[in-house]
Amino acid sequence: MSTNNKKQKRNRLQSVSIPTEIIFHLIIGGFAIACILPFIFVIIISFSSEESIRMIGYSFKPIKWSTDAYKFVFEMGGQLWRSYFNSFFVSVVGTLISITMCVMYAYALFRRDFKYRKFFTFFAFFTMLFGGGLAPTYMVCKQMLSLSDNYAALIVPALVNPFFIIIMRTFLQTSVPEELIEAAAIDGSGEYNTLFKIIIPISKPGIATVSLLTIINYWNDWFLAMLYVREPNLYPLQYLLMKMQNQVDFLIKNSSVIGVEASKLLQDLPSTSLRMSLVVFIVVPIACAYPFFQRYIISGLTIGSVKG
Amino acid sequence: MKKVLATLLTCGLLIGSLAGCGEQASVAPAPETKTEATVTESTEAAPEATSSDRPADHVTLKMYLEGSNVTDDTAVLEKVNEYLDEKLNVTLEPIWGTWGDFDQGAVLSLQGGEDVDIYFTCSWTLNEYNQFARDGYYVRLDDPDNNLIEKYGQDILNLLPEVLIKGSTIEGANGYGIYAVNGYKDIACQNCWDVNVDLLKKYGYTVEDIEKADYFTFGDILAKVKEGEGENFYPLLIEGAVLERMVDNSIIVAGDSGSNNLLSYYINPKKTSDEGAYGNVILNKFATDEFKKFCEKTREYYLAGYIDPDMANPDKANDVRANKQLTGQYLIGTQSYSLGYEIQASTERGFEVAMVPTTPAYVDTTSSQGAMMAISTASKNPDRAMMFLNLLNTDPYLFTLLDFGVEGIHYNLNEIGEVEFTAERDNYMPWTNGLGNVTLLPPQKGQGADFWEGFKAYYGNADEIPILGYTFNPENVENEFAALANVAAEYVLPLCTGAVDPDEKIPEFLAKLEANGMQKVVDEANSQLQSFLASQGK
Amino acid sequence: MGATIAKTVGGDSSAKSNNKRKNRKKTLMLLTMVAPTALWLILLRYIPMAGIVIAFKKYKVYTPKPSLVNNIINSKWVGLGNFKFLFTSSDTLLVLRNTVGYNLLWIALGVIISVSFAIMINEITSKFVAKTYQTMMFFPFFLSWVVVSYFVMALLDPTSGLIVKAQIARGLTPTEWYHDYKPWPVILTICNLWKNMGYQTILYLAAITGIDKSQYEAAAIDGASKWQQIWYVTIPNLRNMVIILLIMDIGKIFNSDFGLFYSVPQNSGTIFRTTQVLDTYVYRALMNSQNIGMSTAASLFQNAVGFVLIMITNTMIRKIDPDSALF
Repeated sequence: MSTNNKKQKRNRLQSVSIPTEIIFHLIIGGFAIACILPFIFVIIISFSSEESIRMIGYSFKPIKWSTDAYKFVFEMGGQLWRSYFNSFFVSVVGTLISITMCVMYAYALFRRDFKYRKFFTFFAFFTMLFGGGLAPTYMVCKQMLSLSDNYAALIVPALVNPFFIIIMRTFLQTSVPEELIEAAAIDGSGEYNTLFKIIIPISKPGIATVSLLTIINYWNDWFLAMLYVREPNLYPLQYLLMKMQNQVDFLIKNSSVIGVEASKLLQDLPSTSLRMSLVVFIVVPIACAYPFFQRYIISGLTIGSVKG
Repeated sequence: MKKVLATLLTCGLLIGSLAGCGEQASVAPAPETKTEATVTESTEAAPEATSSDRPADHVTLKMYLEGSNVTDDTAVLEKVNEYLDEKLNVTLEPIWGTWGDFDQGAVLSLQGGEDVDIYFTCSWTLNEYNQFARDGYYVRLDDPDNNLIEKYGQDILNLLPEVLIKGSTIEGANGYGIYAVNGYKDIACQNCWDVNVDLLKKYGYTVEDIEKADYFTFGDILAKVKEGEGENFYPLLIEGAVLERMVDNSIIVAGDSGSNNLLSYYINPKKTSDEGAYGNVILNKFATDEFKKFCEKTREYYLAGYIDPDMANPDKANDVRANKQLTGQYLIGTQSYSLGYEIQASTERGFEVAMVPTTPAYVDTTSSQGAMMAISTASKNPDRAMMFLNLLNTDPYLFTLLDFGVEGIHYNLNEIGEVEFTAERDNYMPWTNGLGNVTLLPPQKGQGADFWEGFKAYYGNADEIPILGYTFNPENVENEFAALANVAAEYVLPLCTGAVDPDEKIPEFLAKLEANGMQKVVDEANSQLQSFLASQGK
Repeated sequence: MGATIAKTVGGDSSAKSNNKRKNRKKTLMLLTMVAPTALWLILLRYIPMAGIVIAFKKYKVYTPKPSLVNNIINSKWVGLGNFKFLFTSSDTLLVLRNTVGYNLLWIALGVIISVSFAIMINEITSKFVAKTYQTMMFFPFFLSWVVVSYFVMALLDPTSGLIVKAQIARGLTPTEWYHDYKPWPVILTICNLWKNMGYQTILYLAAITGIDKSQYEAAAIDGASKWQQIWYVTIPNLRNMVIILLIMDIGKIFNSDFGLFYSVPQNSGTIFRTTQVLDTYVYRALMNSQNIGMSTAASLFQNAVGFVLIMITNTMIRKIDPDSALF
């Protein structure tokens, strides 16, 4: 190997050729743009005037622009910030607990010398497919566990996701060499010590990924709030939006049976542009949180070496 | 593996049933209160006295409501509960369900047997009155063994029109009887052409021209307006299924509502209390000549550009229609009517709107079940719940308080006794029609002092159709019904809006209906109808 | 592996019993790690699972003492009666074909595309640009299908859609998108890939990032080109993840993303031929009847098939490559 080559290797650990990379940019960049187009569309609707939506529907080029929706959102004041706080609180606390449980469970499943490994793998996997349905789960949560009108109701029912456990286990399998565990055992490291001091530091990409997916699940969730929360002080932001959407959808769908009252009721409900501006309010913070996790997911050369 | 599975399932069941036992243990005092309540009744033997006398033990009633927009109910509940405490020794805890959330919430709550006493129910929410009564969720109010209506609900019987009681008397889990208290709201059904009068006049026509014409002769007017208003204007603003019913005089059969209405009964458009063209039978309406003729005409209008293609899009149609109505981008629309709507619509939309009815107002089972209150079989205090419903539907003070809020806070009365709402009302807006007997309310501003007299005259005099009270029970044909719902979803809307060619699609549709057991469903419906009519002595 | 350690550590009996104690302690420690999640699973998954029996019952309220448990216990058994409606329709075969067909196609496309995307992103020199792409690819995840359907509608609307307008401008007869079933397999595929690629790519990307870099170094020293490294190091290391995701997808072969098949085609009946899947069929069939027995039966059927398929796939994989199997 020539010196030139070696130098390049140190810098880029060998890369694909420049033309190939350009093609990669075109493909991935093109797809990435396609991915944000609908969001741009959402922003356009949120700035469309209500007359424009009435006249020509949702369009890339509204007849008239307007910032009414945002004014209205800010006028909501208390409820909006309260819901922001709730979403934030539930997402952070939920993710912290959830990821800890997930990593511990996945770590035990990853350990081939764990006596009940197969049993517990199956135990988690089975619930991915079979569930008792909504009504029984609802009754258990509400009556047995009193998950009703409290933060726990928004956190506990989504704590465990068997899919994430299995993904986590797979991450551990790809990133943690067997010898490491053996070495740790010989050194007399306890299980918790091994997990937190040795395994977790080298499994950051996997943990960051699953954390990201978990936090997004919490952030996007409105269903739990719909089932278990009636106190407006506890509404997360997504639920505030879903509630508006549900009301509008329901009234529109049933306008013929509810009768003429529906048209009046509909007029009092938040406009489409308002709902779209709420979508913007929901997406922007979580998109801002994304790079925090990404640091660990795309970090090139900084982690991985475990020979020491 | 099998063993593990079996063990797990058994464990689940076992723990589940244990949990159930725990639950039962915790509600153990319930029967006691119940017996106590019955004791109170029997000691105060005089039946007339019981409803006004205050029972000795205190109970809390939970009531699940639909369509509310309530963020602050403290002031109202304080007053309500003060009053209820004095009258019935009851504390009311309303659960303010909202449009869209109520369905899921109430159904789960009912299926799980939660301790909610009173539920809103009707013919169009998911906790559909007929089905849920049949499945045992609601207490039969005129149960011969414990006739709650007779004991505590006499006042309601006196105030409600007879048609309402007829509409709510159905075959439920506990025999043929009443399983909910009807709300007295716009109980009659009347479909109208919603006419944009300003536009009509612009082209030299009058409302009489619409009244004289019918759907099949609208063509000339539509053509002229289309030509004048341009390519992007669609003069006919229709809701496909409603249009079909208006044109063909078919109505929804209760128990079949929602599933694209497979079954149809034909009413007499001149005199709705008489039998229609086909007599007292249920038909597969898609196989009738009327339907074919209707679809052909609609197709013609669609191709001529009189009907917006968006009307054939089930998710978008209603939204677009609501917007076009508001902005006046139509000439003739379809609309179900309620008293005074033309005035309301004219103000809302900012142009003159006329309503041209296609039939007299009539009451059918579906419209009479538009808003009701049922007592849950899981309620621990059905007696008190009935007392409460009786009071709510007969006491103007209580009803107005619960619906409009507190006088001086949520509304004020003007010189002629009309209600004028304050800004506080925005925080307390229950859905009026979902609460019960709306005729107890004072008139709102602009309605005039004698509003409710007119209301009662209009709705109280509406004719009942010959099969009022008949409800189809699909239990014996559930599988056919499930498959047919999908077939209907595939064909009905496109056909009724003219988006597809009826010559090609109707035969295809009929063949598919036949293949999925339509005849069996129609036969079942008719045999049920015959026994219903026989029981009514018709 | 415990045995291997024992062998390497030493042979005498005291060490062995010491090892046994160590092993017991290790098992105990690991059990405490699974305990919280296991407890959660019992409470929130296994107890409610008893509700599955509703699928075999005609659910009615036990009026003397209504509660979910009493209702279930006292409802009549109906055997497989609640499952019938899934198979008696004249459309059953079509619905199953659509459901399985779309899933198979998307599983295959998903693996190929997302693995390629992950590799490509990993090869992009500027990490800042790579991160930006990644962030953008995640946006679809935050938009509900209803919102996406607005977007699709803005393109395909019969009167104002951009594509329809473009067709008219070019003198073509505009396609009646919401009444023509033929283009929908393509539209649905695009929507599905659009929404899910970001998610799957990130899983593979994290797996790539987690690969021990010494493997690349060793390959480079052996003179492997970048493409050879991808082929001989990256892809084999992704095998575990690919197989696991594949197994999971196979388990969901009778399930579909409801919003995609319901909202995006605007619930339009004329295109059911290519948009009707099991989930939408069941929804439409039971929409108005709240038949909890039939809906439980439908999901039990979907999941039982998925379960059997997973067990078969897993057994096959275990025979070939025990390390990648699910269990």
